[in-house]
Amino acid sequence: MTENDHSAMLRDSVANFCRDPDLARVRAIGQNHAEFDPAQWRQLADMGWLSILVPESAGGLGLGLSEAAIVAEGLGRALTPEPYTAVAVLSARLLADCQSSSLAVELLGGLASGECVAIAALQEAAGDFQSHSVTAKAISFEGGYRLNGNKQFAIGAAGASGFIVQALLDNKAALFWVPAGTSGCATGYTALADGRRYGSVSLADVSLPADHLLAEGPSVRGIIDKAVDHAAAIASAELVGLLKRTQEMSLDYLKTRVQFGKAIGSFQVLQHRAVDLYIQQELADAVLREGIAAMDAGLDASARAATVSRIKARCAEAALQITRAAIQFHGAIGFTEDCDVGLYVKRAMTLSAWLGNPRAHRQRYAATAIRQEAA
Amino acid sequence: MTDYNTLSDDAFRAEARAFFEAGFPAEYKFLPRRMRWAECRDWYLALSKKGWIAPNWPKEHGGMGLSPSKLLIYMEEYERAGAGRMPDQGLTMVGPTLIRFGNDEQRKRYLPKIIAGDAIWCQGYSEPNAGSDLASLRTEAVLDGNDYVINGSKIWTSMAHDATNIYVLARTDKQAKKKQEGISFLLVDMKTPGITLRTIRNIAGHEEFCQVFFDNVRTPKENLVGELHKGWTIAKGLLGFERLNIGSPRRPLQALEKLEALAAARHLFDDAGFVERFTQLKLDLLDLGSLYGRYVDKVRRGEALGQDVSILKVWSMDTYQRLSELLIEAGDEFGAVEGDTTVEGETVDLISPFYNSRPGTIYGGSNEIQRNILAKYVLNLPS
Repeated sequence: MTENDHSAMLRDSVANFCRDPDLARVRAIGQNHAEFDPAQWRQLADMGWLSILVPESAGGLGLGLSEAAIVAEGLGRALTPEPYTAVAVLSARLLADCQSSSLAVELLGGLASGECVAIAALQEAAGDFQSHSVTAKAISFEGGYRLNGNKQFAIGAAGASGFIVQALLDNKAALFWVPAGTSGCATGYTALADGRRYGSVSLADVSLPADHLLAEGPSVRGIIDKAVDHAAAIASAELVGLLKRTQEMSLDYLKTRVQFGKAIGSFQVLQHRAVDLYIQQELADAVLREGIAAMDAGLDASARAATVSRIKARCAEAALQITRAAIQFHGAIGFTEDCDVGLYVKRAMTLSAWLGNPRAHRQRYAATAIRQEAA
Repeated sequence: MTDYNTLSDDAFRAEARAFFEAGFPAEYKFLPRRMRWAECRDWYLALSKKGWIAPNWPKEHGGMGLSPSKLLIYMEEYERAGAGRMPDQGLTMVGPTLIRFGNDEQRKRYLPKIIAGDAIWCQGYSEPNAGSDLASLRTEAVLDGNDYVINGSKIWTSMAHDATNIYVLARTDKQAKKKQEGISFLLVDMKTPGITLRTIRNIAGHEEFCQVFFDNVRTPKENLVGELHKGWTIAKGLLGFERLNIGSPRRPLQALEKLEALAAARHLFDDAGFVERFTQLKLDLLDLGSLYGRYVDKVRRGEALGQDVSILKVWSMDTYQRLSELLIEAGDEFGAVEGDTTVEGETVDLISPFYNSRPGTIYGGSNEIQRNILAKYVLNLPS
């Protein structure tokens, strides 16, 4: 089979899985906090989708971002609340690059099989999506380590088996594995627009055995930057999936809703707005696909950062515009809780805010690409 | 004759780049207006001599026979070298139309003159009361003996004052049920008695377009192209590739390059507000490049372009205008200076991209008409 055959098969199975999503469940998670359904997660694992970015040496499929994007686009379309991108991209990439840790290999195996839901808890300050500022500290203690600090904005914390935490060890960046439930590790939650929750992780004198140090030293910065970039790109694929679905819903409504004796989609002002949003959809799709193919082919760190910022800025902005316009197209019904449009509006908001919103990515693009060229 | 399609893209690009850069007269590079025939005649003949004047025509008619992907390279390099647009209606419209819809006699009579630079064509489409609604045109042609007799007027006819010939859409059947029916495509010699012309000065002060009046103008019936009353089909036949060309990022990219140079000279990259707006526009343009690349790949694979190609034209020209507007703003007081001015040692013309970008959303089907087309044929919205 060729690579294209593989992609086509994957696309088919994703389409099947995401057909007729259970939106009643999505609507309810704000109340029942059932954003992580272990049975659903098991299914994702059984399909092999959690293994896509896990290296073959660790029991995974060792495929590329292109394949992960196919899955994410489908899950975004279906508004699947499980933290696919957070675990199967962000954490998978982090762990895969912790090459000298045998625990990381073990965790990756568990991640691929669905048994270990590893969640990255890197970020401390808003706007710092690459987690450059770190105040959490680790000290060597009784043959292991002791950690103190606070992390926030961890999507998927509700189902976490443990956290990949960044802390300073002798003033140098280091990554640790903190199993959920470790004494001194407490998780708090902040409700999000779409019913999911940010986890905040507070570490108060958390003791860890020596092998829970996953990586340390100068390589940590590069490991985090790469994993965050890849996750931001795949979160953008989720956004593209959901924005396409939303645009379909708007177009369907424009074709069927009758006012003044005509389908409202016959009115030129609405047609032109729909076209302008279609252009944004196509720009987002084109940037995403071109950028992901380039990343799979290999980019250096600064080209990768510029590419990812282009992707996230465009896809998130397009998703915000398209979902918000969908409310207007639908009129008052679009503003009701019963209407599915609201679910897409809210997921677009949380995915946009996570791992750098459009403004943050435009700023990073300017800092990496524009100022350097100008200098 | 060389088959350029057998060259690699890189090899062809290198040859085109070298030829255009060295061959195009330096004094006309990046001219902020259309070239007059007297200015570009030598260049036209040089291209003709090399066999490069008609890149899109088949070789049997004196063209290069380039594949669409090679043709895009040709156009990209042409613009990159700052080579100006010549009176090219014969090359881009009349030639392809006659090759596809004309007869042997017409091809033999008209095509060699276009290649040789002996005939310069202009386009008689729009009328004072038929712009976006082109099909409502009222210039009429009536058969009288062996001639069609034409009465009416055409407007926005670019470079008509340099043209030797004009192709005209004229109404030949006023009783037709639909206004798109009953229109015919006629070829006319500009020296025919009854043709008068006035030039129209545009907002930039250049005389590029004209109004052409027809008062009992006779053209032999052999100059009817295709079937009688079927001219509308011919007129619509060649639009897809034109939209891909207008939708290329090359033109807005020239405005961006000017803006970057000006911003660096004036230290505007230290201004966070400017950087935010500049970045947004730069990403709008880069993302257009990604989208354009997708259509180029389609062309390269030999797939037909659908109506959705119109999104390129809308976004490209819209982005071009927004860039040209920021260029003026970035000049502060200099943004009001007409023509070349010196800012921090850089010679710049801050207003000409603004002028050049305005008609892009109007000609070739206005951006609003493109949106109508997209709504109807791509989004399938009801009418």
